[in-house]
Amino acid sequence: MGAIMTRRDWLAGSAAALVATGCARPVRPAQLETTIVRAPAYDQRLYDIVRRLIASQPLAVRGRSVVVKPNLVEFEPASAINTHPLLVHAACEAFRALGASQVTIAEGPGNRRDTLDLAEAAGYFQIIPGFEDCFVDLNVDEVTLVDLPQRFSKLKRVYLPNTVLGAALVVSMPKMKTHHWTGATLSMKNLFGVVPGGVYGWPKNVLHWAGIHESVADLHSVFPRQFTLVDGIVGMEGNGPIQGVPKPMGVLVAGADPLAVDATCCRLMRIDPMRIGYLRLVAGDPAAFDESNIRQTGEPIAALAQPFALIPQFRGLRLESGA
Amino acid sequence: MPIPKLLQQQNPDGGWPYRRGGSWTEPTVYAVLALAGAGDSAEVERGLQWIRAGQRDDGGWAARPGVGESCWVTALAALLPAEWLGAESHRRATAWLSATTGMESTALFRIRQWLIGNQTPSETAPGWPWVPGNAAWVSPTALAILALDRENQLHPASGLAARIDAGRRFLTNRMCKGGGWNHGSTRALGYETGAYPETTGMALAALRGFRMWQTDQSLEVALRFLDQCRTADALNWLRLGLTAHGRMPEGYTPPSGITYRTVPEVATSILADRAVAGKSAFWI
Repeated sequence: MGAIMTRRDWLAGSAAALVATGCARPVRPAQLETTIVRAPAYDQRLYDIVRRLIASQPLAVRGRSVVVKPNLVEFEPASAINTHPLLVHAACEAFRALGASQVTIAEGPGNRRDTLDLAEAAGYFQIIPGFEDCFVDLNVDEVTLVDLPQRFSKLKRVYLPNTVLGAALVVSMPKMKTHHWTGATLSMKNLFGVVPGGVYGWPKNVLHWAGIHESVADLHSVFPRQFTLVDGIVGMEGNGPIQGVPKPMGVLVAGADPLAVDATCCRLMRIDPMRIGYLRLVAGDPAAFDESNIRQTGEPIAALAQPFALIPQFRGLRLESGA
Repeated sequence: MPIPKLLQQQNPDGGWPYRRGGSWTEPTVYAVLALAGAGDSAEVERGLQWIRAGQRDDGGWAARPGVGESCWVTALAALLPAEWLGAESHRRATAWLSATTGMESTALFRIRQWLIGNQTPSETAPGWPWVPGNAAWVSPTALAILALDRENQLHPASGLAARIDAGRRFLTNRMCKGGGWNHGSTRALGYETGAYPETTGMALAALRGFRMWQTDQSLEVALRFLDQCRTADALNWLRLGLTAHGRMPEGYTPPSGITYRTVPEVATSILADRAVAGKSAFWI
C-alpha cells in the first residue's frame, strides 16, 4: 500500500513544483464538464453513439479543420493497445456531419517507426475508407519550433508538427490504459504522439530525460483546450501501455478539458487522479480534482467504475473509497 | 520498379521526403546510396549537394533543414564515401560521431547519480543517442557503428576501433533475453522487453564479424522474424543483418503483402538486394 497523500502533502508538493519550474499557476475554467456514455462494443452502434455524443458538446466545428489524434502503439490488432479504428472512423464521420471543413487523422507513434504498417495492422486501412489520403504521420510532418507557454520541465521549446499546430480543433482519442511509468495514460499523455520522432527519435527520449510528468504538462500547455474522446470500450490494465491485459469497460468519456476528462477516467479506473504526477502539475489546485468541480453528464461514475489492476509500483495510486 | 519510384519522389531542392513534403536527411542519404549504386546520375549529384549543404558547423547533420541540432542522422551521412561527401566533410562527420555518446555513460551523469544516491548503472560501454543529451539506444548505436567501422576498415585508427568495440559491447549488453533487440533496455520496471525485427536486423548488421553466443542466438531470432515479417523496414534490416553474418537463406521469398511506402523503405530494399548479392553500402 502506498502512502495516502494529505492536503498538506499536496500543498507542499505543488509549491515545490511551482518553485522548481518557475511557472505561473494554470488558469482553469470555473466549471469543468465531462460526459460518460455507455458503448458496449466495437460495432455499428458506435456511429450513432458517437454522433450524438459529439453533437451534444459545445464545439464549434462548422467550416473548421479538425485533427483527430488516436493512440497507435504496437502491431497487436487483437490486443487493447491501440485506439480502435471503428471509434476513430465514427468520430471522423461525426465531425464531417457537423460541417468540419477537413478531418485529418494524425499520429506519431513513439515506439515503432513504420506508422502506416502499424495503422494497417491495427485495422485502420480496412475500416476507414481512403485512410492513407486522410492520414498524416506526425513523426515526419513539417515542423515548427514552439516556445512552451508554461514550463514544467527543463525544456524551453519543442518542435511540433504543423498539421496539429494549424488545426482549428485537436481531438485527442486515447485508449483508457494503465502506464508503467505514469500510472495512467489518457488524453494528456496521448500528446506525446504529436512530438516528431523524425526530430527526436524512437522513442522520444528527450521527453523522458526532461521528466515524463513534466513533459506531459509542458505539452498540455500548448494544447490546453483540445477536445478529448477516450476509448474506454476495452481498456488495458496491469503492465500497460503495451504488455497489459484487456479490460472491458464499455464506456466513452468526452469533454473539452483534458484535466477533467483524465480525472474522470481515473475515477472510472479506480485510480486517484491526485496521485498522477502530470495531473497534479497541470491542475495547480487540488480543488480541480474535486468531483463537485466537474459537472458530470451522461452516466454516473459510480455505476461504471471498475478497478484496473495496477503493477506493484503503482498500487499506491488506488482510489480510496469515497475519495 | 523501385528506382523510378525513388527518382519521382526527389524534391526540387535535391533532397527526398519520407513520403511527401519537405526533404529530410535520412531519406535523402538512403536514396542517394541506393541510386548511386545504379550508376552516376544528375539526381544523385543533386542529392549529394543537398546533403553537403546540410552539414552543420559542428560537423553533424540535423534531421532536416530548420532543425537546429546535429543528431543520429550524422551516422547515415558518414556512411557516404568520403569521395562523394568531400574528404574534410567526412572527417568532420566522423569526428562528431566519435565524440557523441549517450548521456548515461558520461562521467558527469555518473557522478551526479552517485551524489544523489542512485545506484550507478553497471553499463559503461558508450552507445549513441538519437539526440545528444539523451540516453543511447540500439538503432542510432548500430548505425554509428556501421559508419565508423566502414571508415576504420578504409583508414584504420585505434581510437575508432576502441569506440566501435565499446559500441558493440553496448549492443551485446542490451540483447533481449532469448536473443534479438528491443529499442534499448532489456527490462522495464522488472518486466522483460521483447525483441523487434528491425532493431534486431540493425544490431546484427553492426555486429558483423563479431561472433559470440549473443550473435548466434540473435541470428536464430532473426531467422524466425524473417518468416513472420510484416513490414518493409523490418524485412530490409533483417536481410541486411542476416547477410552480414552469411546467414541469409538462399532463395528466400518475402511474405506477400509487404508494402514499400516510404523512401527509406524503398531505398533500403535496394541496398538490401545489393548486400545479398555481395555489394553492400554499409560495409566494405
